Amino acid sequence: MNDLTRRNALRLAAAGLAMPWVTKAQAQERKITLAAYTGMFEDLYKKTVVEPFMKANPSIKVNYVGMPTSAQNLGTLRAQKASPQVDVCIMDVTVAKAGANESLYKTVTTEQLPVMKQLTPSALIEGAPGPAVTFDMIVLMYAPQKFQDAPTSWKELWNAKHKNRIAIDAPPNLLGLGLTLIANKMAGGGDYRQSVAKGIELLGDLAPLVQTWEPKPDCYAAVTNGAVDLSIGYNARTQISSKQTPDRIAAVIPEQGSVAQINTINLVNGSSQTEAALQFMSYALSQEAQSTFTEAAYYSPTNPNASISADARQRTAATPEKIAKMIDVDWIAVAKIRDAITEQWRRNVISRS
Amino acid sequence: MYLKVESLEKRYGHLVPVSGLSFSLGQGELLGLLGPSGCGKTTTLRMISGLIHATSGKIIVGGHDVTHLPTYRRNMGVMFQSYALFPHMTIAENVAFGLEMRKLSKADIAQRVSSALSMVRLPALGNRKPLQLSGGQQQRVALARALVIEPDILLLDEPLSNLDAKLRDEMRNEIREIQQRLRMTTVFVTHDQTEAMAICDRIVVMNRGKLEQIGTPHEIYERPSTPMVADFVGRINRIRCRWRDDGAIAFGHTAIGAVSTGPAGSEVLVMVRPHRIELRSAGAKAGRAEGENTIPGTVRQVTYIGDSLQYAVESEGEKIMVEQATTSAGDTYKPGDAVTLNWRARDTLTFAAEADV
Amino acid sequence: MKDSAAVDQSNSSRRAAGVVFGLLLPILIVNIIAFVVPVLNLAAMSFRSATAIGSLDEALTLSTWQSLLGDTFYWSILWRTVWMGALITAVTLLLSYPLALFVSRRSGWVKTVLVVACISPLLISAVVRTYGWMVILGNQGFLPALIRASGFTPPRLINNEFGVLVGMTEILMPYMILSLLSGFGRLDPILDQAAETLGARPLTVLRRIVLPLSLPGILLGCLLCFVLAVSSFITPKMLAGGRVSLLATEIYDQAIVTLNWPLAACLSVFILFVFGAALLAYGQLSKIVD
Repeated sequence: MNDLTRRNALRLAAAGLAMPWVTKAQAQERKITLAAYTGMFEDLYKKTVVEPFMKANPSIKVNYVGMPTSAQNLGTLRAQKASPQVDVCIMDVTVAKAGANESLYKTVTTEQLPVMKQLTPSALIEGAPGPAVTFDMIVLMYAPQKFQDAPTSWKELWNAKHKNRIAIDAPPNLLGLGLTLIANKMAGGGDYRQSVAKGIELLGDLAPLVQTWEPKPDCYAAVTNGAVDLSIGYNARTQISSKQTPDRIAAVIPEQGSVAQINTINLVNGSSQTEAALQFMSYALSQEAQSTFTEAAYYSPTNPNASISADARQRTAATPEKIAKMIDVDWIAVAKIRDAITEQWRRNVISRS
Repeated sequence: MYLKVESLEKRYGHLVPVSGLSFSLGQGELLGLLGPSGCGKTTTLRMISGLIHATSGKIIVGGHDVTHLPTYRRNMGVMFQSYALFPHMTIAENVAFGLEMRKLSKADIAQRVSSALSMVRLPALGNRKPLQLSGGQQQRVALARALVIEPDILLLDEPLSNLDAKLRDEMRNEIREIQQRLRMTTVFVTHDQTEAMAICDRIVVMNRGKLEQIGTPHEIYERPSTPMVADFVGRINRIRCRWRDDGAIAFGHTAIGAVSTGPAGSEVLVMVRPHRIELRSAGAKAGRAEGENTIPGTVRQVTYIGDSLQYAVESEGEKIMVEQATTSAGDTYKPGDAVTLNWRARDTLTFAAEADV
Repeated sequence: MKDSAAVDQSNSSRRAAGVVFGLLLPILIVNIIAFVVPVLNLAAMSFRSATAIGSLDEALTLSTWQSLLGDTFYWSILWRTVWMGALITAVTLLLSYPLALFVSRRSGWVKTVLVVACISPLLISAVVRTYGWMVILGNQGFLPALIRASGFTPPRLINNEFGVLVGMTEILMPYMILSLLSGFGRLDPILDQAAETLGARPLTVLRRIVLPLSLPGILLGCLLCFVLAVSSFITPKMLAGGRVSLLATEIYDQAIVTLNWPLAACLSVFILFVFGAALLAYGQLSKIVD
C-alpha cells in the first residue's frame, strides 16, 4: 500500500514535469477498442464487465464497438488490416479461426495471460487465436402458452400439429448447422465429418411443417411475438427473453443433447495497446467478470472458479447434467463442410417446404 | 337546316361558359364563331364535337339528335388549334387513322390517303413524321386527316392562329377553296374578325357565353346590333352624347346627324369607324353632300403606318380617331392644323347608352 | 489586329475548358474514390479464393470464377433472379400505369397532392414498409385472419415467392410512377381527343395512342425497377423466409454469413453483367421506340 502510493506520487511528479508532452500520449496509450456483439450482449457486457474493469483501472478507457455478427466483426478486421482500430475482439470460434489464417490476431500464450491457466481445458481450443470467454448451446425454444407440458425431445419439431408454427434458421446460419448435426445423431447418421445424409433426410421430413427458414427480425422475436410456437436458438439469449416474458418463450435442452457455441476473446494483430488489451482480456476471463456476466446474461463461464447462483446455474448451460448431454462438435471441421451442408439443405430440405 | 344548335348550355358549378345559344346552318355553309377569348366559342365547338357534354340543350345534325352520342360515333372532322397530329405515326398513318377506325380495306385506305394528301398539296410527304414538317405543312395534314373521313361536319378550332401572318392568309383561302369544292358544312372558331369576315358565309358573334349577333359579314360589320359587336369587328370611335329634340345628336356646340332617332334628352352612344371619316382643311369649301356631318377639330397627333395614316383629332373635348389611306399625292395634316371631320349620316351608328357595357 | 483577336479567342476558349474541367473535378474525384476504386477492388477480390473455413488466400486465381460458372446452382439463381425481377417489374408496371395516367391527367394542386401521395412511401424506410407486409400477410396477420374468418384456410402469403413479389412491388411502385410521369411528356390529352373525333373508342385510344406514346416512360420505369428489384436484398431476405435464393441475397450470405468474399465478389461482378444486359436492352428498345 505504502509502495503503491509512493509510486503514484512519483508518477504524478513525473507527469507534472512532462505535462505538456505526456498528457496526450498517455491518454492515447490507455484507450482500447473492443469489438463484440451488439444488442443485448453489448448492454449486459458493458454493464457487468467493461464498466467494472474501467472502474478498477481508471487509466484505461474501453471503447465498445458493436457488431451484428461475428462475420461482420471479422470483416471489419480485414478492412482495417493495414492499421487496426480494434484491439480486442469477441467472436464465434469458427469465425475467429478463419481470421487466424489471415494472421489478423496475435495468438496469446499463458505467459502473457496467466489467467488462462485457471480456465476449463475446453476453453483452450486448438487453432483458435484466443481462449474461450463464453460457452453457450443450441436449445429448443417453445411458447409455453401453447404447451401443456414442456417438450423434452427434439422430435417435437416433427410433430405435425405444429405445421406452419415452426421457424428455423437454415444454414449457412450456425443454428441450422447445429441442428443438422443433432438430426444426424438422431437418425443414427454416424460421424458428421463423413456424411450428414441421414440427418438431411430427417430434416427433409420436418420441412413441410416449417413456416420460415429465415425468421425476421430473429428467431427469438418470432417465438415471443407469437408468429411461431417452436424454434431453435441459443440458450443465453433465450433465457434473457424468457426471464422478461416467461409465458411467451422458454428454452429446453432436449434429451438427445445439444451442441455448444463458443465465443473466444482475441488480441488483434497490430494493436498498439497490447498491454492494456491483455489487461482487459485478463479481467474478462477472471473469476469476477465471469461470475457477473453469467449472472446477467446466462452464458456459461469458461473460468470454473466463477461463483454462480443457483438460478443462473439452472438457466445456463453449465449444469453437469446438461454438459453430459452435449454432442461433441469440432466446429473447425464443421466450418469446412458448411457450404456442402448449405447446399444439401437447399436441395433436399428447403425445397420440400 | 343541316346543323341545329338549340338553347345550348354548359355549366361547371357557378361557371356558365355557354348559355341559351341557338343557331343553325345549312348544308355546305361555312359559319364562323367569333368572339374574344373566353366567350365560349371553343366550348361550343367542343360540345358539337362531343368532347364536352352539354348541360342542356340540343345538337341536331341532319335531323338526328346527336347531343348524347359519344364523340367517336358523331362522324365529325375536327381540326385542332395545335393540329394534334399523332407524333408516333407517319403522315400517311395519321391520315389513315380515321379510315382504319371505319374498317376500310387496305387498298381503299391507301387510295383515299393519297388523294387526301394531294388535295392539301402534300403528296410526297406520306412517310415523314409530323415533327419533320413545317407548321403550315402540319396544318394541311391536320386538314387532310379531318376531311378524309368524309365527315358530316367539319369543325375548325382556331386553325390559323399558330401560323405567321403571310401563311395565314394563304391557308385561309385554301381552306375556303376546299370547303367550297367539297360543299362541306363547316363551323370555324376564331377570335380574328378579318379571318371570319374573309371566308365565312355567316358569323355568330359571341360574348360571355351568349350569342351577340348572327348574320353575314356585311351585316355584322355595317349593322352591328350591339356596341360590343361594333367594337369587336373593327376599330371604332365611341362618343357619349344626348339626343336633341330635332332628331339630331348634340355634340358640344354642334350636332351629329344619324339615320335613326331617339327620345329627346336621353343619352346615346355614337360610334363612327375611323376610315369612314374624311378630314378637310378648316377653310376648304368643298362640296358638302346632303346629310353629311361636318365637325370642326384640331389635329393632335399623326401616326404613319404605311398603307394608312392615323390622326388623333380633338373636337369638342373628345378625341376622335381618323384613318385615311396614304396616297402618292400625300396631302397630310400636321399636329395643330384646324380641320373638319366629315362623314355621312348613315355611317353614324347609334346605340342606347345602357347597351354600352 | 486580326491575329490578336484570334489569340484572344483561343485563350478564352482554353480558359472556358479549364473552368469546365475545374467544375467537373470534384465530382470526378468523388466518383473515382467512391465508385471506380471500390468496383476495381471488387473485381480484384473475385480473382482470389477463400478456404473452406472462410480465410482469404493471397494468391490470384481463377478458381472462384470456375466454381461459380461451373455450378448449375448459381445459374439457377441467376435465372430465378432475372425471372423474379421481370415478374416484379411487370406487376409493378401493371399497377402503376393506371395510377400514373390518372395523376398525369390532373392539374393544379390536385396533381401536386396526388404526386406527393404517390411518392410519400419513399419517406418511410423500405425495412419498415416490409415489416408492414409481414404484419399484413404473416401467418397471424390481418389478411390470413380475414380469410380464416370467412371460413377458408389461408394459403401461405409470406415466406415464399409471393411474399417477395408483393413486398417488392409495393416498394418499387413510387419509382415506377415517377418514371412514368416523367416519361409521359409527349402524352397530350388533345391527342386522345383527336383520335376520338376520328372514330376511336376509348380502348382503341389507349392501345393506339396512349400506350405507344408512353413507351419511353414505360421503358425507363421498367429499367429502373428491374435494376432495383435485382439488386435489393433486404425485402427479399425478410419476406422470402429462406425459400427464395436470389443473386443479391446470395451475395449477402456469402459476404456476411459464410465469409466467402471472393465468391461474393464474383457474384457481384456477375450481377453487374445482368445490369449491363438490362441497360443494353433498354438502349436498343428506346431506339426502336423513337
